[in-house]
Amino acid sequence: MNEILKRLLTPEGVRDLLPDLAGQKRKLEELMQEIFSRWGYREVSTPAFEYSVNFDTEMKTDLEENLYRFPDERGRTLVLRPDFTLPLARVAATHLAKEAKPLRLCYGGSIFRYAGGLQGKQRELTQAGVELLGTGNAESDAEIVALAAEVLQAAGLLDFTLCLGNVGFLDNLLAAYGFAPEDGEKIKHFFSKKDFVSLRELVQSLPLAKDAVEAVLAVPGLRGGAEVLEEARKLLPPGADKTPLATLEGIWAVLADYGVSRFVTLDLGMVRMLNYYTGMVFEGYTVGLGYPLCGGGRYDQLLVNFGLDLPAVGFAVSVDHLLTVLERRKLLPERKTLLYLAYGAGSRAAALAAARQLRKNGENVVVSVQESTAEEAARQARACGALRLLYCHGGKCSETTLDNKGGGKDAAVK
Amino acid sequence: MLLSNDWLTVALAKGRILEPALELFAAAGIHTGRIREESRKLIFTLEEEKLRFVLAKPTDIPTYVEYGAADLGVVGKDVLLEAEKELYELLDLRLGACRLSVACRAGSKGFTGGYVATKYPRIAERYFQGQGKQFEVIKLHGSVELAPLLQLADVIVDLVSTGKTLAENNLVETEVIAHITTRLVANPGSYQVKGKRVMELAERLQAVLERKVVKP
Repeated sequence: MNEILKRLLTPEGVRDLLPDLAGQKRKLEELMQEIFSRWGYREVSTPAFEYSVNFDTEMKTDLEENLYRFPDERGRTLVLRPDFTLPLARVAATHLAKEAKPLRLCYGGSIFRYAGGLQGKQRELTQAGVELLGTGNAESDAEIVALAAEVLQAAGLLDFTLCLGNVGFLDNLLAAYGFAPEDGEKIKHFFSKKDFVSLRELVQSLPLAKDAVEAVLAVPGLRGGAEVLEEARKLLPPGADKTPLATLEGIWAVLADYGVSRFVTLDLGMVRMLNYYTGMVFEGYTVGLGYPLCGGGRYDQLLVNFGLDLPAVGFAVSVDHLLTVLERRKLLPERKTLLYLAYGAGSRAAALAAARQLRKNGENVVVSVQESTAEEAARQARACGALRLLYCHGGKCSETTLDNKGGGKDAAVK
Repeated sequence: MLLSNDWLTVALAKGRILEPALELFAAAGIHTGRIREESRKLIFTLEEEKLRFVLAKPTDIPTYVEYGAADLGVVGKDVLLEAEKELYELLDLRLGACRLSVACRAGSKGFTGGYVATKYPRIAERYFQGQGKQFEVIKLHGSVELAPLLQLADVIVDLVSTGKTLAENNLVETEVIAHITTRLVANPGSYQVKGKRVMELAERLQAVLERKVVKP
């Protein structure tokens, strides 16, 4: 390969965003931050890399192997942030430790992970999300889910499903039926991948009572509205801790008051890969996309690792996945029409004055970088995709509307 | 609420498992008769069930399902292991049972390192990596049994059902990597958003399988 060709390559898992899409992505991110602030969340920004130790806590799952690690000049290990929840927990526990609770924070930016799992093939991913710190009730869980529903709707999606579960339900069920912890871990892994074939094989191979096997294998079917909570209660043996189901029931009621129940499905087999979740978890899906659009949950034991014992709940939108869906369905806003401004001999000053005024009025204006005739101006305007041409000549500027092919129609004279 | 989002598209692998797969759907009350008869058409629509069946090359099924071109797929576990996609594996349809195995020339000492010929380079790589042997994988597209005979490879990794092809080529099966059957897989988005329909179909197939379980 020659030297020039080598310089044209980008590494695996990263991509350039070209005109239109790059702008549309920024607009989408702005829209989401705007909604977060309307709900009272304040944006924080954290460094792109931090000490590795900040990410070691509670991250023993798949994520740990997917971190970008590198040494600094003194040999300490740094990590490109793979997630925003841990940096935000650090910020809340340090700079904002004395702030009144609950604390509402939001963020947006890139995270970096070696490809694999739920993220698809991309290694640099954009997230936008929120954390609600210092409150542990159903209302706060529901606020996060309802906010996710609002953000996806505002982005233009209507056919999405937020599936809602509680990691405690499966934990309690497995404990109550006497599953060994290592089998329980395997079972939860199969649930997280929805590999029901391996789940069935494993559970049926274990020396357990028939009712235990049947209970675990019934969990994938526990999907739907509030009625599945009743079915789930029946699966738990007497004396088992039913708090996770009561929690979900509470959240379900608040979500009804938010008016977003139609977007929510209870899924009691829902397990998220990160093991810092302690209660409610949820993920958002839409047809035609094999990855979650958003996801989150409650993590009441995480902040204590940073010296602050607070309950917390949050979620993040996978901006790239959302953008892909919106692009495929042609739901992204069109870019503003461009106005091309050109001038004949001696009219540069008039043209530049006109451009200043138009831009002040919010128009997108491209000014020609050389004198041109009216015909040349029309050609240049079309070449840069402008649908309107303003041509200044002899002290007068006249606007022409250009159609896509050729020719033009004279319009207003300014 | 679970949406019963109208239509479901099911991608079926062409080849040896197509017939038994269609019979299984038929046993679940889905009229797949027409699909059996016509062979050039690739898309079949069953209005009354709101089902669309598409026929594709087995190795392409995970891709169709991953991108949501199909909601569900019917394909062998061998293809899924090789494709390494994030699909939900809903059901073991127990069709086309066979083994994915290592085989070498009869009389040779088994694999101590060297060249591995296979249609499944990723599976072979993963399997031998865990054994601390020096090896190199050679990807072939068919007639893998030839490779040891022409000394292209020391061993092969391939599907074995009766072992007849191996025996005819003077090869012996030495290790079983995985037991293979046909699976019903789902796109995660479809599984969630079309939850009700996906579950209904999976349950109908599951009921047929449970009736069949008495048979050997």
